[in-house]
Amino acid sequence: MPITNQTLENELDNVANSQEKAHIRKLWDHADSLMQEISVNLIQGNNTQVDELTKQALENGFDANTILDQGLIAGMAIVGIKFRDNLIFVPEVLVAARAMKAGMVHIEPILSASGIEPIGKVIMGTVKGDLHDIGKNLCIMMLRGAGFTVIDLGVDTSSEEFIEAVEEHNAEILGMSALLTTTMPNMGKTISSFEEIEMRDLVKIMVGGAPLSQEFADEMGADGFGKDAISCVDLAKQFVEYEN
Amino acid sequence: MISSLSPKERVMNALNGLPVDRTPAVNPTNIATVELMDFAEAPFPQACQDPELAAKLAATGHTQLGFDSISPYFSIIQESSALGCDMQWEEKDNWPTVRMSNPIWKSSSDIKVPKNFLSHRDIKAITGSIKILKQEFGDSVAILGKTMGPWTLAYHVFGVENFLLGTIDNPEETTKCLEKLKEISVLFGEAQIDAGADALTFPDHATGDLVSGQYYKRFLQEIHEEMVEALPIPLILHICGQTVDRMPYISETGMSAFHFDSKNDPFESMKAVNGKIKLVGNINNPETLYAKDPTTVKEEVFKCLDAGVQMIGPECAVPLSTKIQNLMAIPEAIIEWTQKKHS
Repeated sequence: MPITNQTLENELDNVANSQEKAHIRKLWDHADSLMQEISVNLIQGNNTQVDELTKQALENGFDANTILDQGLIAGMAIVGIKFRDNLIFVPEVLVAARAMKAGMVHIEPILSASGIEPIGKVIMGTVKGDLHDIGKNLCIMMLRGAGFTVIDLGVDTSSEEFIEAVEEHNAEILGMSALLTTTMPNMGKTISSFEEIEMRDLVKIMVGGAPLSQEFADEMGADGFGKDAISCVDLAKQFVEYEN
Repeated sequence: MISSLSPKERVMNALNGLPVDRTPAVNPTNIATVELMDFAEAPFPQACQDPELAAKLAATGHTQLGFDSISPYFSIIQESSALGCDMQWEEKDNWPTVRMSNPIWKSSSDIKVPKNFLSHRDIKAITGSIKILKQEFGDSVAILGKTMGPWTLAYHVFGVENFLLGTIDNPEETTKCLEKLKEISVLFGEAQIDAGADALTFPDHATGDLVSGQYYKRFLQEIHEEMVEALPIPLILHICGQTVDRMPYISETGMSAFHFDSKNDPFESMKAVNGKIKLVGNINNPETLYAKDPTTVKEEVFKCLDAGVQMIGPECAVPLSTKIQNLMAIPEAIIEWTQKKHS
């Protein structure tokens, strides 16, 4: 079924990159009009509608994976691109993420019960001494929107807490965030702690935050630097693909 | 070229658009480092809580680094602490921070300024230090106070996510919140003027990393124009991150200067403000001042001077472990550039 929802067609016009556009169009080309409606409402941040439409889709017999991929994740992909390209900003992403969450409330229990594995497991946290979490939270929303399971350790996270969480959840990826120039070095200290206990090879480590750069990430020995939430998701996908 | 000015005259002339003997080195935000805390025996967090220690540490920006201004408000949390926010004070190697995940208020009706606000320890640390600095340096060096704008205060008292979500869910309520919070900005600003501040930094973090330029226009431009009327000394607006898209609006506020981030090219920024507001900045912190050497710092200073930036300083509060040689390179570079220009 081609895209029948004109608003969605208009949203696709916001995607400048032709490859990205083709990829997202393909998701909706095979999607029922109800999935397209879920996507539109997610992009617009209408959490009540996403909640109701997701329930309706399940009642109509759509399986949870279809709703997740063709409704929620496809909508979030547009949100991510618009955010990366400065067409929308954090408030608009926050309302879209809230709408995503409203849909996931119905989807997640079904996926968990079915035993379907997530595409990857990520530990996320803001480093020791740093209480800023908006950037980390955006990354988490986008990662979840892309199908990752994310364990959020919150802010002010010590090296020991990162190590314990990676061990406990057997996570393939660790993401660390810092906003303060004073706390950036704590990322390097955490990476060294993983090396000291010979766990560094067990986990891919990505870092991000406003004052960081690729150069700084390389110097610390991180596996990747995400300049924004979309880059963070791209990195996580690369890590998972590399593993597989 | 006019005859030699005192650091204070240099800064005030630059803020007021009058001729200067050379471009001033100015610090609208913190330039104190761990090294300077050790030198002055005034470490964090005590230097953020005690007027004498704050004054001792702030003075090093002029006496040790050679800046033309002195600024004793090192962080962004003094008002929020006095309002009752949950604080994490940290040690001398890190910033005190508000625990924004534990906000104190939910709506505009919760906003109440404590009766003892101006006599709170962390408010008096600033007003008291300005008085001390005024006595010691008042005739020769510009004393910069700082009062946080309502947008930044809103992050602290409501939490960043709650506040930003509210801008979409209920923008009228957001406006109400900002209207009430701006009274705190005025109250603290007036107290610093009474204490002797020559100019005030006005941080209000409606950054391009979080919100659009249209947001600035819609929610803040008018409030910032009001601040110019309410606080009758030169105001230096500070917003981190990408801001070129909102510089045309900022330049209409009537503020004396805009302190801008290195994410904005100085030439492009000068064009964006079109001579309607002076620019201060924008030497990069994490990659240059923190990680490089004086030569690289000087190259960035030269670029700003070539662009016509009217006051030079770090883009924002410097990393606390920045080497002081890199900070000293800022005024040194200005002097070198000026001498070369006039030779």
